[in-house]
Amino acid sequence: MFLINCPYCGERDQQEFKAGGEAHIERPKQPTELSDDEWAEYLFMRKNIKGVQFERWNHAHGCRKWFNMVRDTSNDEIKAIYKMGEKPPAQ
Amino acid sequence: MLNYNSVIKNEIKQESISVKEISPVIKINLRGKKREFLTNVGKNLNMILPTEANTSTTSDKLTAIWLSPDEWMIISNELASKDTNKSDLYEMLFNSISKTNLGAVIDVTDQFVQLELKGENVYEIFSAGSPFNFNEFKEKKGSTTQTVLNHVDVILHHKDENILNLFVRRSFAEHLCSWIEDCASRL
Repeated sequence: MFLINCPYCGERDQQEFKAGGEAHIERPKQPTELSDDEWAEYLFMRKNIKGVQFERWNHAHGCRKWFNMVRDTSNDEIKAIYKMGEKPPAQ
Repeated sequence: MLNYNSVIKNEIKQESISVKEISPVIKINLRGKKREFLTNVGKNLNMILPTEANTSTTSDKLTAIWLSPDEWMIISNELASKDTNKSDLYEMLFNSISKTNLGAVIDVTDQFVQLELKGENVYEIFSAGSPFNFNEFKEKKGSTTQTVLNHVDVILHHKDENILNLFVRRSFAEHLCSWIEDCASRL
């Protein structure tokens, strides 16, 4: 079993959660001034690294809250979990 | 209350586990974050909403179940009238909270089916279909949790020793019941 520690409900099984993609992607302040390429970069391009990655997760079958997770994609080790709006831990 | 057929097709009544539907019970979903919201609800219901995760509070007439840091479900401990679809409780909360923009009040009476699971072997059923760790839940009366049971979203409330309230969405209820029936027959 792969347990995830929801910051609101405590430790739960991974099947209660949904992954929500990369975290900390900022919406450009002036979207109208972007070129199509830059806009596509913001909309679609995501990191897919082997190693430590910052992700958003949702406790979909529990409290339905979103939170952030730092996860090593190569071995699924969870390095840190923090709530939305909180500063990411320094690596 | 609208008239629905019971979701339990074949009665599950064994020595080690029995399941019955409890209906009609008033269920209200409450959402809000502000401090005024909490004090207002407290005044209206004459009880405090639980703020600790996975817990519930009970008064004579009502039980409040923690769902999320800003979401609760209020259920009535007694059966409601079958003749009307309205409840004074909902009207009162709607007027004092929804109308004043403090939070949201939603009547989920007909959305959720309440099942009462009773017997020594209730937790055996869960070990077959739920990934949740029931060790702490079992020990503490009033514990609640939202989890999955046989891939169906459920809300569980520890009412008394070996007595659980299970809330499931009406559209999934029949399926879940037949799964529990099948599961119980093998215990």
